Amino acid sequence: MAQAASVTRNTRTKRRIDWTPYLFLLVPLAVYFVWIIAPTFYTFYLSMTNWDGIDPYPKFIFLDNFQYLFTKDRTFSEALINNLRWVVVFITIPTSAGLGLAMVFNNEMRGGRWYKISFYSPLVISLTVIGLIWGWVYHPRAGLINGFLSIIGVEDPPGWLGDRGLAIWCVIIAAAWRQVGYVMVLYLAGLKNIDPSFVDAARVDGANRWQLFRRVILPLLAPVTTIVVVISIIDSLRAFDLVSIMTRGAQSTQVLANFMYIEAFNNYRMGYGAAIAVVLFAISMVFIIFYLSRVIKDELEY
Amino acid sequence: MLSHKKTYLVLAILLLVCAVPLLAQDTSVSYNSYSSDPVPRAFDESIVALWNEAHPEMPVNHSILNHEDFKQAIRAYLVAEPSPDVLTWFAGNRARFFIDKGLILDLSDMWAANGFDQSYAPGFNALATVGGSQYFLPTSYYWWAIYYRPSLFERAGITQVPETWEDFLGTCDALNAAGITPITIGARFRWPAAAWFDYLNMRTNGPDFHINLMLLQESYTDERVKATFAHWQELLDHNCFVQDPAALDWQEAVDDMVQERAAMYLMGAFIVDSYPDDMEDDLDFFRFPIIDPAIPVGEDAPTDGFFISANARNPQGAQEFLAFLGSQEVQQMALNELGRLPTRTDVDISGVAAPTQKGIALIQSADYVAQFYDRDTTPPMAEAGMDGFMRFWDDPASIDTILQDLEAERLRVLEEEGG
Repeated sequence: MAQAASVTRNTRTKRRIDWTPYLFLLVPLAVYFVWIIAPTFYTFYLSMTNWDGIDPYPKFIFLDNFQYLFTKDRTFSEALINNLRWVVVFITIPTSAGLGLAMVFNNEMRGGRWYKISFYSPLVISLTVIGLIWGWVYHPRAGLINGFLSIIGVEDPPGWLGDRGLAIWCVIIAAAWRQVGYVMVLYLAGLKNIDPSFVDAARVDGANRWQLFRRVILPLLAPVTTIVVVISIIDSLRAFDLVSIMTRGAQSTQVLANFMYIEAFNNYRMGYGAAIAVVLFAISMVFIIFYLSRVIKDELEY
Repeated sequence: MLSHKKTYLVLAILLLVCAVPLLAQDTSVSYNSYSSDPVPRAFDESIVALWNEAHPEMPVNHSILNHEDFKQAIRAYLVAEPSPDVLTWFAGNRARFFIDKGLILDLSDMWAANGFDQSYAPGFNALATVGGSQYFLPTSYYWWAIYYRPSLFERAGITQVPETWEDFLGTCDALNAAGITPITIGARFRWPAAAWFDYLNMRTNGPDFHINLMLLQESYTDERVKATFAHWQELLDHNCFVQDPAALDWQEAVDDMVQERAAMYLMGAFIVDSYPDDMEDDLDFFRFPIIDPAIPVGEDAPTDGFFISANARNPQGAQEFLAFLGSQEVQQMALNELGRLPTRTDVDISGVAAPTQKGIALIQSADYVAQFYDRDTTPPMAEAGMDGFMRFWDDPASIDTILQDLEAERLRVLEEEGG
């Protein structure tokens, strides 16, 4: 009994000390609550109303917004499919191109640093500027692509962003172009972390270059690949700027984020816009949780 | 630590400081505008300076926001208490939206006291009025018309501007035969396509049907709407339009005219700002061709103006300032300095350039003045409508599905408004 009493006293003193960090956390947590948590829950609430941005007493309509979204709204399915296309392109093209570039630039070469910088530089440019630049590249008359096509004698070049079938792919390619440098840097960091002794051992065992890559390097890069894929998915779901700049969602290029913006701030359907935001949030959450669990596990390992 | 006495003292001082403005009876008027472009901005500021000089007892505090931000901010302004007194805004449905919600001050007394019912053109009086009372002061507008290059018409052997539908199709054929694209359009942001719908619908079915459709009182699956698209289809069949309109900005499409690739462009009068000054001699415009001479003529003339918030802090002062903004002197200055077209009939227009006089005559001879698709109908309907027009452009065969989608949107908006 005496022993037990001393244990409780011990925990009590401990607990008193434990409050200090929470006191320090109080301010950031309050800020976090006011600006992140509360608005999130407010958005959940709004998504179940028909608020138009003015009406002081919006009607609570429960899941009607979601029902319309999933059963009647064509633009929503268009946006969902476009986001899906975005994901597919993002986890294939920039990932493989970035990995390839990282493999090349991981070797010492003349001007290697300069190449790395130039491939990374699109990431430094704002998405707005990228949208404008690619708008010119795709321009049907004076654009880079059609200018080139007319030089080599193509009679009737496509209208790119003006072509309903091509427009969304044009936007995604512009986004993928930017993403390549980002993926490359992530893989370069991953390659630097690979213990050279593994590579040397494989060489001693007589592995050729392909076997070395396929059987040794790629498996060692697996954690990076996971992160790259998850980041690509999250970036695809966030896609907004390029669509907004290049087409504003016209020509069947709508994506969820831009659709949300248009419904909420152009059509003044705040409740409906919030419902789209909630759907986007739910899809993103799956990948964000996966990503965070990975990152936290990695942190615990080191 | 402050003692109790000191705390009370501080509180008392704070209270006094807060109360001073209330005691002094602030008589100023707040005025929020979106005229952020340099030239109109300078003009607006000079008008406010003029007022402040004459009325030092009731100064106007002018704040300016850029166009797009203003469009978002106005919703917050109008529900704030107190809200800004005088605000710039657009006529038509855009103003109706707030008027119907009871957010706008009734100006009827000010209107009558200043004789605006006499001095404003009838079309603009109608634009100001909802349910018999005036709410909106229309002060300036611009016209829409088919702009063309007379030299290119000449090259194609066209001696007269088209006035009827057959003339118009004939003009397209003649231009095509001469190797000139008849009509250019830059519909990347879709609204230039809406102008075609406005005009074709008004010419096919009359302005009454058009405005009722805009007010969502007619159905998009109506046979008459289909007839409008049938006329549009004729233009497509005659290869009247430029390739890839959806890839071009509206200004980029102007280049087609500058570089003699295309001859016509259905555009607002602001096209002149994007046209090289030294080539303006070879730029003229004509009224959109008449399809059915039996029906009244409607024209698009988007109108800007002012209203006062129902929550205004100083409604009396705001109305006095508004009467000044709508006065003959200010409209005359706006015409002379900015070329802003007057909504009053007593403004002297003899000094302005010939094209402007022609434009004023175009609108004054119209039976009805519409505000443009995205101002006449509700924002979600405009969004869906313009999307539909572009879909029609890419795939005319799917017109039935497009109209069904538009009808679904119309019913949805109606339901939202009812609920």
